[in-house]
Formats: sequence, structure tokens, C-alpha cells
Amino acid sequence: MFRKGLILLLTACFIFGFAAQTFAAEKLIIYTSMKESLIGELSASFKKKNPDISVDYQSAGAGKLMAKIAAEREAGMILADVIWTSEVPDFYNMKDEGMLIEYISPVTKETINPFTDFDGSFTAARLGTLGIAYNTKIIKKAPEQWSDLLNPEYKGAFGIANPSLSGTSYMSIALLVNKFGWEFIEKISANKGKIGKGSGQVVDDTASGELVASLAVDYITNDKIKKGASLALVYPPEILVVPSPVAIIKDTRSLNAAKKWVDFLLSVEAQTIIANEGTLPVRSDVPLPAQFKLPAPEDAIKRSIPVNYVELMAQKENIVKKFTAIMQKK
Amino acid sequence: MSARGQRQGSGFGAPQIILTLSIAILVIVVAVPVLLILFNAFWADGVFNIRDVARVLTEPDTYQALLNSVIIACGTTAGSTIIGTFFAWLVTRTDLPWKRFMKGMFLVPFMLPSFIGALAWKMLLSPRAGYINRFFMDTLGLEEPIFNIYSYAGIVAVECMYLFPFVFIQVCGALERMDPTLEESARISGAGLFTITSRITIPLVMPSILSGALLIMLYSMAHFGTVAVLGIENGIFNIPTLIYERIHQSGGSFDSIRTGTVLASVLVVSAAFIIWLQNRILGKGRYQIIAGKSFRPMELKLRGLRMPLLVICIAYIAFTIVLPTTVIFLVGGLKTYGLAFTLENLSLDNYKFILFDHKLTRDAIFNSVTLGLSAALITMFAGVMISYVIVKMKTRGKGILEFLGMLPFSVPGSVIALGVILAWSGKFGINLYNTVWIILVAYIARYMAFSLKANSAALEQVHDSLMEAARACGASMWQTLRDIVLPLVRPGMLAAFFLIFLPSLRELTVSIMLYSPTTRTIGVAIYTLNEDGETVISAALAGVALILIITGQSLINRFTQSSSSSKG
Repeated sequence: MFRKGLILLLTACFIFGFAAQTFAAEKLIIYTSMKESLIGELSASFKKKNPDISVDYQSAGAGKLMAKIAAEREAGMILADVIWTSEVPDFYNMKDEGMLIEYISPVTKETINPFTDFDGSFTAARLGTLGIAYNTKIIKKAPEQWSDLLNPEYKGAFGIANPSLSGTSYMSIALLVNKFGWEFIEKISANKGKIGKGSGQVVDDTASGELVASLAVDYITNDKIKKGASLALVYPPEILVVPSPVAIIKDTRSLNAAKKWVDFLLSVEAQTIIANEGTLPVRSDVPLPAQFKLPAPEDAIKRSIPVNYVELMAQKENIVKKFTAIMQKK
Repeated sequence: MSARGQRQGSGFGAPQIILTLSIAILVIVVAVPVLLILFNAFWADGVFNIRDVARVLTEPDTYQALLNSVIIACGTTAGSTIIGTFFAWLVTRTDLPWKRFMKGMFLVPFMLPSFIGALAWKMLLSPRAGYINRFFMDTLGLEEPIFNIYSYAGIVAVECMYLFPFVFIQVCGALERMDPTLEESARISGAGLFTITSRITIPLVMPSILSGALLIMLYSMAHFGTVAVLGIENGIFNIPTLIYERIHQSGGSFDSIRTGTVLASVLVVSAAFIIWLQNRILGKGRYQIIAGKSFRPMELKLRGLRMPLLVICIAYIAFTIVLPTTVIFLVGGLKTYGLAFTLENLSLDNYKFILFDHKLTRDAIFNSVTLGLSAALITMFAGVMISYVIVKMKTRGKGILEFLGMLPFSVPGSVIALGVILAWSGKFGINLYNTVWIILVAYIARYMAFSLKANSAALEQVHDSLMEAARACGASMWQTLRDIVLPLVRPGMLAAFFLIFLPSLRELTVSIMLYSPTTRTIGVAIYTLNEDGETVISAALAGVALILIITGQSLINRFTQSSSSSKG
């Protein structure tokens, strides 16, 4: 009998354990695709400044987060107060569906704003850049142009993350196609370029030597360089810039806290943390760590390939299909 | 009091309540999801539509995935049957040294999750960077890698390594139970070793070999992990990975769910066919092996081959068990992937990080442990009740239950996952999608088979006369259950508990389809971390999972041995 009681007690504990996760007290909930090292440090620093606000975050791929939001919306309540990912088209979608609150943070004017149609629905809080990561043990002379990737030393060993898994990868492919046309992708395919899995995995494969180079996201690569991987990240003249917007969900029950979070995210303090992760801040008054060879934010914007997000949104399925077909030579 | 319980069939007493409850559980948890899959596959817009099913099946991608599933399953079945039978013969019928130890080691792959094995082999044999390929290319100056793990051969080889115990166990059992006098009389009559083996031994153990082989076939057709790790990148999809990819990409659009249900139906049908075939073979074979243990089976003297075969066994164990496990732990200790295994590059930091600092992995471990415990407890109790009705009760309507009880055995994990999505995503009033509860429901459905098996085995050993005696002395049905039956089947219940708890710790196929950002399990975390390029962190978590599983298994082994009870 004692044992049965114990079992019941344990069961009850688990059930309440789950329940406690679901019915948390009022606090700021952030859904983000930023890596845990970044969001963890940011939220700790935010808590220090605002001890009365408790911050909880969920870090996952943008696709997973959007699916969760869609499910929560259907159930009648979106748990997230703030969403911060790098999938810009999602934000245009949410804006169109009226899911976002327009909030123009007073700090916005101090920042670099890559959105020409900015109305406060979402604000860029980070500028993700993509360049070429290469294995320094294998490639001795750094690539300088995108077209260098068509050289024989990259044959069969240049990787691009799967655009149907990674939103960043999709955006960068669309940008490259915009600038250089589908011929470029065809040439890469002719040089036996590869579709990898996630945008992190191609970088790890480059570090291990499975690939000699890959289309790589800045902070993922820089993090591995910091840990001693034999990698380097270079930017051809045309940089791929993918902003990460932050937005407040309309149904939020902690609007005040959410606004404070957006203000904080754009502040010098938070942007310094972001720069130290090896990715570009949206402020020009933040020092860039010397160990990462990042371009200055204004310079990156100037060199970036221009993009029409609304168009990009509509074309996604076609571009992904065409890209996969070319790369797999179907 | 007793009179009420005895009027079976006439009123709506305790037996009917138990029966109804049992049927309800199986219907809700297992039958409804499967029916919904079949329904969605064959009915489009309210009409039966077989042409559309054919259209889906003949699409190049789907057709290729079906073909791949068959190719991989056949290759794996053939390979593991040969390996399993050979080693089983070696450890039961020859004078190979250290046989007991070998037998134990050959069972180890049972515990190891095959997707973790696949990760390890990817690290060892990926064409340019795999440690083994690198070693040969660097030392021998080879231009090409010696083996490319991203291929059909690679997938089949890895699956064989982790699935051959299915055949091994069956054949070991058959060879041990076989009446040795049959072989001896053949020998006395002047038959040679070859004749004895081909005319007596092999025909006698054939049913066990086949039934093990069919189990492997069933498992491999519906297997997600290995193909997901080694195949997807090079465009090799099988049925479960294609279902996952389609559902994952589309965020649940009707067209992809449709494709998913058609593919899942193929799995259901082939699984049902395999189970049916297996029952037939076993039914035929049972009387052939007479369980007389009058003599110890004669041992073949290996003579000159003794040492070479011992070396082969040890090499096999070292190569398939020790090497991949070591690689997982070593990579888990690296600062970042791609560094050499030198002392300054290795540390315990990753392990510390995932256990104490990393929210994602800590949540995943918590989720898996709580999910495993809850699923094991619920399924254990439900299993006792259902098995009791099937094995012991004589009441009308039992036939339905027997049929329903067969279902969990033949429904593959990815089918269950898709089925619970259809059943529990709000269409029928309850929306559990994206919560931990949907994973729990799926786990219960997935592991019900284990519980039914263990519990009915235990119940079959309880003789009816014990209960009849209790009832004759005036005990009510509940009293009989509580005081006689439950104490006697406790070992079966415990076995069921652990048979569910341990595999659920490493579950991937179901949870990968159902997880949300808050409900990752250990398997999902390992898989997604690897996909995100956090190779070292994912290896460290895989290492922790291995430690958890192996510790758990050894505890159970010790426990079940000391209580010398049935193991299901």
C-alpha cells in the first residue's frame, strides 16, 4: 500500500510538473530562434535591470516556433509576448494577419534600420550576415568572390544548408539568385556542390573537413572559431544581410514588459552582447570585437544585396523546389 | 456479494465494466488513430477514392521512398539474420571460449539506440572527415575514402549492427531448447556433421530464424533514426523519413498529411502482413521443438578454428559496440567538432554544460524521464487490466478485445505519431497538439504491446484454480484480484514497467513528429542538436543517454535475476 501511495504521489508530481510549465505566473515570454548562449545572456542582463519582470524564453528553429504560435492561436491564446527570429517573411505575414502591435521604440532612431517600409510592427534587433566559411587546413588562399566557389578546390565540397529546413538558407539562396541569376546555382551544382541539413551542420561539416567551405551564418561560425575550430569566415563584396526583427504579439498580457524588452534589445548594452556573439549589431556606436572580422554595420548594409521581402514570401515554394531540383540534378 | 459477481453476462456487473473500460482504452488510444489514418488515406472529400491513393503512391518521391524502405529492410533482414544465426550457433553449440560473456555482449546492441549508433558511424565513416576514412587516407595516401556511410550499404550495415539481436535471441533460445537426442540419433545412424546440420538442426530452428527475421523486417521498414541521420542528406528517404519531412516542411497542410496517411497505410498493411506471416510460422514450428532438457546439447569442437573465431567475435564486438560508443564519448568531450583527440582539446565541459547550464538539454532530460515514468505507469496498469480480460475472463465480447489487443503489436511508431496528430489536434474537440500530453498518448499507444505481452505471460502462469478457490471461499471479484492475482503478476507488471520506461528514454520516431519547443525529449534533442551543427553537444547528450540506459538496464538485469521471475 505504501508503494502504491508513493507511485500515486510521484504521478501527481509529474502532472503538476507539466501543469506548472503551462500555467506559469505572469511574465514575459519570448519565442526566439537565437541561440541559447545569446538569449540566455540577454535575458539575464535584462532581469538585472528589471528585477520585477520575470523572463522566460523558448529557443527553437523559426519554423517550429511559428507552428507553435499557429497552434496556440487556434486554441485561442498565444503564449508568447515577444517573437524574435530571422525569418523576415514571417513578420510580414503576422503583420498582414494583424497579429502584431505597432510599437516604435524611442531607441529606434539611434539604430540602423534596414526596413524601408518600417511602421513599428517589427524592428530589426540584429543584422545576421552570411559569408563563406572555409576550412583553413584545406583551403590556403581565402576566397574573395562568390565566383571563386566554382574553382576546382571546392569541387564536391561546398555546402549550402537545406532551404526547406533553414529559413536563413532560403533567404540567402534567394538573394544569390537575385544577384547572380539561376546560372550561378547551376554552376555550383556543376561543381558538385552539396545540400546539407541545418545551417549549423554545414559549418560543423566544414570544420571537420567533410566540406571545405560552406555558405555560413556569422555567429555560428564565429562561435566555433572562438572554440578553436580550423575555420575562417570571409565576406565577398556582395554581403548577404538577413535582419532579425523583434515584434510584440497583439494578445500580450504584459505589454509594458514587452516594450521594455524591445527598448532594452536596441540599447548599447544589449547590442554589445550581440556583437560579442560574433554577429552584427544594429548600432554603429557599439565596438565590434577584433577577433571576428565583421564588417561595420553601415558598410554591410551598403554592400548588401537588396531584397523585396513581400516578393520573397510569395516565391518561397518555387525557389526551394527549383533549387533542390538543380542541386540534385533532377 | 459473491452472487452479484457470478451472474456473468446477464447484468452489467464488474466484468462488463472492466471489459468495456479495456475496449475503450484500446479503441481510443490505438484503434482510432489507425482508423483515422486509413480513413484519411482512402476517403477524399467524403468519397472512397482509390485512384488518388494510386496517384500518391506513383509520385516519384513517394515511390522511391517505398522502394527504399523495401530495399533497406530486405538488406537489413538478410544481413542481420546471417550475423544473428551465426553468432547464436557459435555461443550455444560450439566450444568457443568465454561463451557466456560473448552472449551478454551480443545482446548489448539491443540497448543502444540505433540513431546514436548512426551518429557515431557518421563520425567514423563520413567520406572525407570520418575518422576511419581519414586514417586510411592519411596513412596510406588513398585518394578515395574506403567506405561512404551515406549510402544504402552504410544504412543497411548500421541497421544490421543494432538489429541482429532480434534473430540472435530467438535462435539462441531455439538451439538451447532443442532436443539434442535428435541430433545424436542422426549421428549414431552415421550421419556426418553437414547432414546433421542441414537435415536436422537447420529445419528445427528455421521457425525461430524466420520469426526473428520478420521482426527485423517489421522494425526496419518503419525505422526512422538511421535513415534520417545517414540518408536524408543524400536524398535517400524511406517511408518514415518522408512522412516526417513532408509534415515538417508544410506545417500540417492537408496535402502533406494526405501523403503521410497513404504512406502510413502502406506501413500498416505490410506490418499486418508480416505479423500474420510470423504467427503462421510460429504456429507451425512450435511443436517441432520439444522442450526436453534431458542432455546438454553436444558441443562442436572447433579445434583449429577456435582461436580465429574467438578473434572474429572479439573484433566484431570491438568494432560494432566499443568503437562507436567510445567515439560518442570522445566527440562529446571535444571543444568543437573537427579538432583532434588530444588532451588539451578534451574536457568534461560539454557534459557539465548539458546537465547543468543548457536549458534545452535539461528540459529534454526532464521531459523524457517524466514522460517515460508516466507512460510506463499508465501502460503497466492498463496492460494488466486488458491482459486479465483476455487471458482470464470468460465474458461475451472478449473477441473484440483480443483483436484490438493485437493492434499495438503491428502499428509502427511513425503511424502512431501521425494517427495521434489526426485524432488529437482539435478535430474531435480536444487539442493536445504541441503539448506534452500528445506525446504521452502516443507513448501509451506505442508501448501498450510490451505491457500486454509481459502481463499476459505472467497471467498465464496463474492457474485458474487459485481464483476459483478464492471465489469459492466467498471473496468478491475485486478481493480476488487484489489479494490473489495482483500479487502473483507483480513481476510481470514490473517487467512491463521497465520494458516501457527504458526504451521511452531514447524514443525518437514518435517524439520527432510531435515535439514543440517546450516538449523536446532526449532523442529529439540529440537529433536536432546534430541537425543544428552542435555536433559535440549532441554527442555529449548521446553519451549521457547511453549511461542512463545502460545503468537502468543493468539494474533491471540484477533485479530480475534476483527475483528469478518471468521476464516477459
